[in-house]
Amino acid sequence: MNSLIQNALRTPPRGAYACARSLTTTARQQAEYVNPRLSGQSNPEGRIERPKPIPTSPNFYTTRALFYDQLTQLERAVGRSEAFLRHHHLLPLPDFARASLPPLQPVWKDPLEMSNEFKTKLSTPRYRKVVKILNQLNDFQRIAKTGGCPQLEDRLRAILSMYESSKKEALLSRGKRKPVVLDEYGRSYTLGKRKTSSARVWMIPVQQPDASQSETPEALLLGTEKQNLPVTTTTILVNNMPLNQFFPLPADRERITRPLKVAGALGKYNVFALVRGGGTTGQSGALLQGIAKGIVAHDPALETMFRRVKLTRRDPRMVERKKTGLAKARKRYSWVKR
Amino acid sequence: MSLISSISRPGPSTSLSRLLKPQFSLESRRYAAGEAGPVGKAGYLQKLGSAQKSKMRKKLPMYKALPASQLDRPILVSNKPQFDPPVFTPAAIKAATAVGQPFVINPKDNDPMKCFGIPRKLWLEFKLLSRPYTVVREVTKDIIQLLEDAKQSSSANTRVVFTGRPGCGKSFLLLQAVESCAQQNWVVIYIPRAVDLVNSTTSYAYDIRTQTYLQPWYSFQTIQRMLTVNKEAFTKIKLVEDLVLEKSVLAKGTTLDQVIEAALAERGVSVAQAPVYLEAVMKALEAQTQYPVILAIDDMQTLYGKTAYRDPHFQAIHSYHLSLPRMLMEFASGKRSFQKGAVLGAISASQTTHPIPLELRDALDLHNENYRIASPYEKRDKVLVEYAKGLKNMAVPEKLTLAEAIGVFEIWKEQQVFGREKFFYDEAFMGKYTESGGNARDFVWKGLLATLDT
Repeated sequence: MNSLIQNALRTPPRGAYACARSLTTTARQQAEYVNPRLSGQSNPEGRIERPKPIPTSPNFYTTRALFYDQLTQLERAVGRSEAFLRHHHLLPLPDFARASLPPLQPVWKDPLEMSNEFKTKLSTPRYRKVVKILNQLNDFQRIAKTGGCPQLEDRLRAILSMYESSKKEALLSRGKRKPVVLDEYGRSYTLGKRKTSSARVWMIPVQQPDASQSETPEALLLGTEKQNLPVTTTTILVNNMPLNQFFPLPADRERITRPLKVAGALGKYNVFALVRGGGTTGQSGALLQGIAKGIVAHDPALETMFRRVKLTRRDPRMVERKKTGLAKARKRYSWVKR
Repeated sequence: MSLISSISRPGPSTSLSRLLKPQFSLESRRYAAGEAGPVGKAGYLQKLGSAQKSKMRKKLPMYKALPASQLDRPILVSNKPQFDPPVFTPAAIKAATAVGQPFVINPKDNDPMKCFGIPRKLWLEFKLLSRPYTVVREVTKDIIQLLEDAKQSSSANTRVVFTGRPGCGKSFLLLQAVESCAQQNWVVIYIPRAVDLVNSTTSYAYDIRTQTYLQPWYSFQTIQRMLTVNKEAFTKIKLVEDLVLEKSVLAKGTTLDQVIEAALAERGVSVAQAPVYLEAVMKALEAQTQYPVILAIDDMQTLYGKTAYRDPHFQAIHSYHLSLPRMLMEFASGKRSFQKGAVLGAISASQTTHPIPLELRDALDLHNENYRIASPYEKRDKVLVEYAKGLKNMAVPEKLTLAEAIGVFEIWKEQQVFGREKFFYDEAFMGKYTESGGNARDFVWKGLLATLDT
């Protein structure tokens, strides 16, 4: 059945144009054809035709010589490496072994990049064809790597690296959280969001006044002198204003200091933040997340705890959309009899 | 219950019934009786009417503690541990350890706090605390030292205005200064709510002779209170010139207490002449050198702003055309001065109806990011510029230091307004200090008293 459909698809279209074409060819075939170049004669106008250069590639007349050359090479590589692996009894692989192969995530050049490479516009089927072969080669590379064929692995890698996208790193790291890096002064820079607000938060540890100088070692050893630890305080500046000026509501203020309380880090860090967008609740919520992330950046041991109490979590709740036929998201118009 | 229940009257003509909305008392019945309604169903209709009225009422009535005699239910009986901090005295303040320590003010019967009253916010705070507690700050010591130095020189040399953001402790500082002066035998004149001088709440009358509007009732109350507070000093200070009244003359050399008592004796007649009495008393105080005089004015910026008083043509009356604000401004500007003494003032930055006028801001050099940007081409009242000349700005620190905040925390903790057994007091303290950014009012009102994590 399938083969029938395929045959049907392969048959050339028959119609008026096809008939006309067959007619012209038959008319030409009646005169005997003589290649003027081989005969060395001049054409009827008396001009001697120069011999055409022999095409460098057998694919010259496909008009996509470069593409088909590469394709042939890749296919050849597939054939050879398959034969090699078969010879070494690494192919065919049982399913369990195939599943246990270490992953080797490839990111191939996109159609546009490959078009530039091949100097021809790649249609989707042609691109798919290349990618299919590349994926196969990638699988062979995985097998070679695990199966202990370093030579084959090196060769395959050399071939495949030509088709790897230049943006591989960026694409693979997409969607993954970037680790916060402290800068030269020990500052963290984190971002917090809630509703439509966002907060950029910079945190720096408070400099501890040196307490050890005032205490004599004897007193420390004997424990006679009560150790008077210096107390430091946290200053939080929001848009360059003290916290109490920016947030008049106590609930907002308490929300902001919550991560510090949970971490027991009140007085340990100074905070500078820029908040944009939204209202007071959103802005204070954004600050909470930003500060929580900053604390985790300074003290990675707290990461699990902060994740469990959902301090570092981006609150996903947003304004519920308005619906047609309703006054607001949920509110209904009052019912009127007529 | 409260030692300061008698302090609640801040200035002349301001009785509690005006300040406080009627509560469950006779007064509310009196208000309700004024409403029209059929006599037969009076009870029902009046109830309705009063309910409607209470809906329209915008402000909540001010907090008033129940008298101790009514707190006999077991749930209301507290077993508070006695909190007895040292008494606020000039000697105690001077101690090196005094900074950040809570003190209690023990007002005598003739204490300025009781007689002149105190600003509304402090009054409410002391109501909640049941006793007037206060914490000594670094700046308190500075002020005490300033007054010590001012004792020997003219008040024209010491004219200081406390400035700072709302809630940084200006009024408390002024009260501390007044208290310490009262305990050191100064003559004290304390105006805790200067806004009452300009908001058209006291009677006024035009006087052709001085071409000003006199405020007889406020003047009368002022001299009365001055006598109560400075009784001892007034027995020794004498009139410097004859006091000519409508029907009598008080001769030069009469002591001030006799003068004021004469006014009090004929209350009906002398209220109208109270401004004349006050003027004579002030002149006598200016001339004498026995006692240093402190004139302390809270809400000072209201004197330099617009008044709510109107003349018969409904034109606004300038504050310098009102007798009392004019007199206060004359002392503040150094046009008049006590031979020994000081003039202290405090602006109240949280008074939204009375912002700090431009003339005063220029004089105090208040042109920072906390204020509206003022153009040099903006119009200034030349008279007010004169009256504001020479005032010195004393910026009260924006933040409580950690030691001072601990003192404040201790007072409220001892009152048991928050916390319980095994409460993390350290964390609460650090949290509230951080949240309030060190601002004193926010630390207490929006921190300790507003918190939900008790």
